[in-house]
Amino acid sequence: MIKNTSKTHEKLTQDLRRGILVLATLSQLEEARYGYALIDVLSRRGLDIDQGTLYPLLRRLEDQGLLDSEWNVEGSRPRRYYQISASGSELLQTLTEEWQNLVGVMEVLLFQTKE
Amino acid sequence: MELIDRYVHEVGRQLPRKQRADIQVELKSTLVDTLEARVEGEPTQEDEIELLKEFGPPNKVAASYYPQGQYLIGPSLFPLFRMVVAITMLVFVIVQLVLVGISLVFNGEVFTFLTVLDIISEVLGSAFTAFAIIVIVFAILQRFDVKPDQDDEWDPQELPEIEVQDSVNRTGTVVEITFSLVIIAILLFLPDKIGVWVTPYTEVLLNPVLTSYIPLIILSILLGIALDVITLWRGKWETSTRLAKIGVNLFGLYVLFVLISSHNAWLAEQGVTGFFSFLDTLGEGEIGAETALILGMQAFRMGFIIAAIVISVDTVTMVYRLIKNQITPPVTITLSDNN
Repeated sequence: MIKNTSKTHEKLTQDLRRGILVLATLSQLEEARYGYALIDVLSRRGLDIDQGTLYPLLRRLEDQGLLDSEWNVEGSRPRRYYQISASGSELLQTLTEEWQNLVGVMEVLLFQTKE
Repeated sequence: MELIDRYVHEVGRQLPRKQRADIQVELKSTLVDTLEARVEGEPTQEDEIELLKEFGPPNKVAASYYPQGQYLIGPSLFPLFRMVVAITMLVFVIVQLVLVGISLVFNGEVFTFLTVLDIISEVLGSAFTAFAIIVIVFAILQRFDVKPDQDDEWDPQELPEIEVQDSVNRTGTVVEITFSLVIIAILLFLPDKIGVWVTPYTEVLLNPVLTSYIPLIILSILLGIALDVITLWRGKWETSTRLAKIGVNLFGLYVLFVLISSHNAWLAEQGVTGFFSFLDTLGEGEIGAETALILGMQAFRMGFIIAAIVISVDTVTMVYRLIKNQITPPVTITLSDNN
């Protein structure tokens, strides 16, 4: 987590991270995962997500038909597994292209036009 | 796990009933998963506290399940709501004032300070009811997610002209000053002509009430002229001049109030109250001097009541503009040509 003395900085940093949340989530749901497992895999791969934001997001994506979900009651406690849907895969592709495009543009804006 | 259960319960309480149970089960299972992954062995209460603090306050977590927020009247409806309230309130106040004026003229109600208070509280009460009805209607629209049309095909050329509400209407003000001066001249130099003119009688039937209030009337008109001159000179309305105008108007209303009630009193002395009830008592044939004077006094009173209504509306508009400018000060946009 980036710490900033100023609340504004913190909020704007969060806004920036929130922007990639959908893309990050979709990218890790090719295989079905439940909430904590998703947080865990994202965290192990370097992205710490505010848990309070992630679960509502998963439900929203499901409502929009981008994820499918299923309760699994076999383990020690019931867990809801989420997996990317066909429509979600399409979106993932679009967002990935957009991401690469943005990275290129930001690279130019941030580092190559500095005089 | 007691704290986790309490937390899950509290979050659920703030969720829509339909999704509540489902979200609660998931939330609890996730919290326990996280706790188990972090803590070896039996988790302590401190572990729970730390975890829950990280998750955030229950209301915040519950709110994040409503991405569009929860509103009585949401942002997409609010501008329309504000416009409807403003128009309704303005129309409402004007209609009420007119109704009050009509009932004063035609029913000849006794016009005292207490009746004024009664009228004000009645107007405020029903204005509040009207406001409440608008809120309820909009809350229902919001509940059913009705949104005003957002026209993507909008035409910049159809943008409304910028209204310069603060500029003083010069012609109007000059006319007002002239008119005021004429009235002052009549009051000062022709007080023996203020009354009722009826053709068969060569003499003017003097208004027996008005003459005793001439200084008060002149004072009120002079204040108005002074303010007119100042606003003409300034060229636009400012907070100070608006406040002064409201003051002058209130004083004018007070003078009119005195005039109307003294006319009422005079008419009551003649045993006359309302306008129509008096017309009913008139028989066929010639109108006598006394009857003519009574009719004339009715006309005077009606004139004063109309003036009071006009001034009240003007005052309401002034107060509205004043408040509006306090909330959103008018912005003058100037772009310099030299970059």
